[in-house]
Amino acid sequence: MRSTLAVVRTVALGRLREQPLRLVVTVLAVALGVALATAVYAINSGALSEFGLAARKLVGEADVVVRGARTGFDEDLFVRLLGDASVEEASPALEIELAPLGDHPPLAVLAVDPFRAAAVQRELVAGLGGELMALFRPASIALSAAAATELGVARGDEIQVRSGSGVQRLEVVQVLPAAAYPQRLGLMDIATAQWAFDRVGRINRIDLRLAGGVDVARFRTALEARLPPGVTTSGPAAERDRAANVTRAYRVNLNMLAMVALLTGAFLVFSTQALSVLRRRSSLALLRALGATRRQVEAALLAEGILLGAAGSAVGVLVGQAVAWLALARLGGDLGGGYLHAVAVVPRPEPTALLGFFLLGLVVTAAGAWVPAREAARAAPARALKAGDAEHAARRLRPAWPGLSLAALGAACALLPPVGGLPVFGYASVALLLFAGMLLVPATAAWLLGHVPGTRRAVVSVALAQLKGSAGQSAVSLAAIIVSFSLMVAMAIMVYSFRESFERWLGEVLPADLHMRVAQAADTAFWSAADQADIAALDGVRRVEFARQLSVYLEAGREPVQVIARRVSGESDFDGLPLVRGDLAAAPPGTARAWISEPVHDLYGLDVGHRFTLPLAGKAEMLTVAGIWRDYGRPGGAIVVDRDWYVATTGDGTASQGAIWLQPGARASDVEHAVRAEFPRGDALQVYTGGALKEMSLGYFDRAFAVTYLLEAVAVLIGLVGVSFAFGSQALARRAEFGMLRHVGMLRRQVVGMLAGEGVVLGLVGVLYGLVLGFLLSLVLVYVVNRQSFNWSIDLAVPWLQLGALSVVLVASAGVTAALSGRAATGTNALRAVREDW
Amino acid sequence: MKRLLHAMLLGAAAAVALAVGAAAQVDYPAVLPGVQVRLPADHGSHPGFRTEWWYVTGWLDADDGSTLGFQVTFFRTRPDIPQGNPSAFAPRQLVIAHVALSDPSHGGLRHDQRIARASHGLAGAEPADTDVWIGDWRLHREGDRYLARLDASGFGLDLVLERTQPPMLNGEGGFSRKGRLPSSASYYYSVPQLRVSGTVRRDGSSLRVRGTAWLDHEWSTALLEREAGGWDWIGINLDDGSALMAFRMRDREGGKLWAAATLRRPGADPVHFAPEDVDFLAGRRWTSPHTGIEYPVAFQVRAGAVTVDLEPLMDDQESDSRLTTGAVYWEGAVQALQSGTPVGKGYLELTGYGAPLALPGSGP
Amino acid sequence: MSSPDWVLKISGLVKRFQPDRPPVLDGIEFELRRGEYVAIMGESGVGKSTLLNLMAGLDRPDEGILSFYGQDLARLSDDAATRLRRHEMGFVFQAFHVLPYLTAADNVGLPLDLAGAPRPERDARVAAMLEAVGLAGHAGRFARELSGGEVQRVAIARALVHRPRLLLADEPTGNLDPRTAGQVLALLRAQVHAQGASGVLITHSRAAAETADRILVLDGRRLVPAGATA
Repeated sequence: MRSTLAVVRTVALGRLREQPLRLVVTVLAVALGVALATAVYAINSGALSEFGLAARKLVGEADVVVRGARTGFDEDLFVRLLGDASVEEASPALEIELAPLGDHPPLAVLAVDPFRAAAVQRELVAGLGGELMALFRPASIALSAAAATELGVARGDEIQVRSGSGVQRLEVVQVLPAAAYPQRLGLMDIATAQWAFDRVGRINRIDLRLAGGVDVARFRTALEARLPPGVTTSGPAAERDRAANVTRAYRVNLNMLAMVALLTGAFLVFSTQALSVLRRRSSLALLRALGATRRQVEAALLAEGILLGAAGSAVGVLVGQAVAWLALARLGGDLGGGYLHAVAVVPRPEPTALLGFFLLGLVVTAAGAWVPAREAARAAPARALKAGDAEHAARRLRPAWPGLSLAALGAACALLPPVGGLPVFGYASVALLLFAGMLLVPATAAWLLGHVPGTRRAVVSVALAQLKGSAGQSAVSLAAIIVSFSLMVAMAIMVYSFRESFERWLGEVLPADLHMRVAQAADTAFWSAADQADIAALDGVRRVEFARQLSVYLEAGREPVQVIARRVSGESDFDGLPLVRGDLAAAPPGTARAWISEPVHDLYGLDVGHRFTLPLAGKAEMLTVAGIWRDYGRPGGAIVVDRDWYVATTGDGTASQGAIWLQPGARASDVEHAVRAEFPRGDALQVYTGGALKEMSLGYFDRAFAVTYLLEAVAVLIGLVGVSFAFGSQALARRAEFGMLRHVGMLRRQVVGMLAGEGVVLGLVGVLYGLVLGFLLSLVLVYVVNRQSFNWSIDLAVPWLQLGALSVVLVASAGVTAALSGRAATGTNALRAVREDW
Repeated sequence: MKRLLHAMLLGAAAAVALAVGAAAQVDYPAVLPGVQVRLPADHGSHPGFRTEWWYVTGWLDADDGSTLGFQVTFFRTRPDIPQGNPSAFAPRQLVIAHVALSDPSHGGLRHDQRIARASHGLAGAEPADTDVWIGDWRLHREGDRYLARLDASGFGLDLVLERTQPPMLNGEGGFSRKGRLPSSASYYYSVPQLRVSGTVRRDGSSLRVRGTAWLDHEWSTALLEREAGGWDWIGINLDDGSALMAFRMRDREGGKLWAAATLRRPGADPVHFAPEDVDFLAGRRWTSPHTGIEYPVAFQVRAGAVTVDLEPLMDDQESDSRLTTGAVYWEGAVQALQSGTPVGKGYLELTGYGAPLALPGSGP
Repeated sequence: MSSPDWVLKISGLVKRFQPDRPPVLDGIEFELRRGEYVAIMGESGVGKSTLLNLMAGLDRPDEGILSFYGQDLARLSDDAATRLRRHEMGFVFQAFHVLPYLTAADNVGLPLDLAGAPRPERDARVAAMLEAVGLAGHAGRFARELSGGEVQRVAIARALVHRPRLLLADEPTGNLDPRTAGQVLALLRAQVHAQGASGVLITHSRAAAETADRILVLDGRRLVPAGATA
């Protein structure tokens, strides 16, 4: 034991003295990976725990939540349920999304009977304090602290929201304490809401508390059978998950980034350790010769890796927590993505999670250190003492079969379906392919270098010979950059593909000159039939199409689906429905047709020709799927139905949105003004030209992915730093060689040039490899991870220009880095180095 | 009128409405002198008035030999909100119920309460006859009997209260003044000497009980004067079949602002006493360990020539409803004595000892 | 070039590494005649390697003249000195410094490659040189596959393949066993003479030095003939 410690001291401390800067950077690389992973987790869990908290407060003491579509169901159901012997308390509610005028996001409102809600959403109602009865006053609302902050109002102020095409004023009678509810929410009396928003007689939610001893599952099953079409039940757990689902897609992106960072860090550790061990083979062999056992040497090297990992992970965990805190404080739980509407999420450090990330960093680092440690310890001392053996050792990393098997496994994983709606196997596939890629680097690099044509120019041929001769070591030094670059390529292709598809899609779904909606929240904001006629009669309007969007529950426990009632004419200029399958042809008489978005196809297993029932206005309507269209706007799915059919079926002639085609010569801005002038607070209507809407959407897209680009760049930078260290250490190790070359007549600049050449060739190999690997990974991201996360398809598109430019920059950087390390290694000292023994 | 007490919690509600808009949204009928209470028509609810309550208190002898006090109250209030809302949920009327059991073996008061808007038949107060309910809590009249059934948490009452005497109109034919301003008044009648039988459930076991109770029915729009700080009230069933109701409105210094009493000998017409003929003389004091409030729990009450001493069934009959209604008060079973000899049993209500009470409709 | 008799002429050479310390070399006088093979002996640390660096134009003296065929090495630029070495000098090192990733032939051909020799001539001379050092059959083998003595033969071949006028050998047998060392030294001497070059052999071994035509001892910062101090 003591002798092992001595060996550890000799090995690890010796190295620390020898290369302090490199150790610091390796530690930082590990720290970056761990920090990113920690930060992403902390941000997610902060946001999720806030969602969870909010959902818990909304679910409260309820055992079962009965929900209908937003348009709701007859409140009579509440009376019937209250009469059920199994039901102890029932709290009727109307959940609506209000559209505050001005630049505000939709405001979720829970309208309840506070007396009954007190038995369910106890904390929420208690938050009303002494003002419980104040809610009975007409047009009054209580706001959560977050909502009041966002709207910039205090108790006693007034807010204006859209109701129909008019304006409804609401008095803020109370602002709940922040502890009562963490997110933005309005609380109204159910009678007030029914009256103000034209929902008299209808509710869309009932919270049930069951009597003691009632089997909740059995009760729900029995209840489901009795509920009207479109009304479902869910339990408290599902209610909490529902909240988490909202941001899941966004978190996919963040998870990818964390993976990029952690893997880059891991491979940087691996390559640093591997190279460092290779360099020290002779001294390690000396230790062995002096009596250190194989196990001791291995332990010493492993201990060294663990020390590095511990330092890096500790820093990473702390930095990650700090970054998460800063990011959340500044940007909110979705990093500015706009999905969460909270005042502030304060991530509380979770000791177990932090310990987990610390250990993850440690394990990854130790694994990176273990492979070379084991190799070094196994080497026969006599052989290792000889010059040139380092490469021989690196060669052992070269067999192709482990990499090929992993790749096969990764490819197989890509074919598996999602697990619980998450692309678990997709991620596994990315990870496996990445590792396979790494394992195949030595063999591939050797093969590639073997195919570089020979030359007679001494400098070049020596450089090439050196590269070919040390392909194994080169491959190791390339690992970190290949990992980060290939992941960056994969991400870049995915994001670019998404952006291209998104842009094309925008062009297709915005066929009109002007697109308009009353407000983002369509629950209470709509145009009546008379309003629609007024708009259609405006000067300059050639054609106008209105649509009604409403949310409907197709299946219990799932997000609601958006039903869009609009005209489907079969005229491609007007329909703006980007079909991937099926057609827009007119329906055979007597059958109603529906065009479903891809998420509906994926989530509900519907396909062209299938028949399904759609609950509308309390009735189950039978529809046939006529086509599947691409939709990036509604991740929960959307179903287009013919508006005439919808109006005939439901009697609902209102419209939440519309599109205007102008008469020749009419100016879009004139018509826009005319529309706005038609309604009170017309300035708050959303009327845009197709182009402006497209521009806004793309701007939003780019902002959402800005963080992605930044973090990718950091990962690549770290990879480059890793490469420069690899070059640096190689150059140092080759000082004697350079000295000899200078002796035999190689100019200093020739030596530097030779190194730069080596750098360029290596960079080229790395970049080529990274491009190919990244492309393969991007296939998995685009067709598996993306599809399974978002349930929509995107078309693969490669950003050649960006990738090309980036490749050139990387190759050049590799050359420059190598040249710089060469300059340092070819000074006068290098000449003396020929005298040093190895 | 004790019931004011509860009115207050409702009141808190309606007060908000008042505080905001100077102009009242609802035109409540006024309580006018000269208007008489007509029975049986007035047994039902009077939804136009701001507040109304049915208040039953009494003593029970259980078959296990223990003595209990009980109290069942149903309040109705009409919030001061505009009436145009077509929603069935519109809170045109609110109903509050309060039930309490004074149980010396338990060492304190068990109580529970409910509040609901009168909608969808789930809570309400019938205008035709006494019938008020929230969910399965209900008090209603069937001829000469009242039926009270309240299944509360931890205890429950299922009682039949039989009339042994005709109702007793308080004040001038049921017009009962509460202060120096004539507008501060209510319509008020009592039904004393009710014969009680039924069951009391406590902690899962049922007791058969018999006893005597007192019912008050009172409705009003404006009760308390601005200067009022609280009141003391008693309703005593005397053993000889007499009934004594007396109350005192206190000013903020504890002095007598107003007082009145009704005494009815068996078979005779009730005698009404003017403020100067009614005195409440505080006796022994008890400090609540729960709230620190000091209450006079023993009294000597004089109505004209009649004087009774009051001793509580137990000291701790304080109701702390601050969390739900904002009120802390003492309301409990008391024994009436004359020269140390028990002469009757009844209920005493003490309000405003912690902080001055505020009621809707108080003051101009 | 007037082709003087002197390959290398050193006079009054002073070299110090730190200004305030006594010089490492102080007033070295040395002449190397054409075709001469001289050994310079000395204990470790007396400045043998410094002297060799100065002779190779890899380092500059603080004082004195260092003339290679009449050219003052101290005045040459780094590039000029490098070209001079490329064409006129050959080196053999104690640690061989044979590139492990090149074949024996490519290692030997390195100076010719650097000088830009035409391919057929280069290949012919490499082959001839390998044969001369007894490695005719090892042309295609990598350095790591050769024994220590064989590697040093490759080094000797490399040092002489471009027919330098001066061969500088620094402890060429320091890493070899005595038997192999003897063979290598004999080969070195034979090849210097065979190629018509001059040579300076730096060694601390009396036995090695005795393979040279003349032995000088670096002692107390001066160069004196062997025996003068012994």
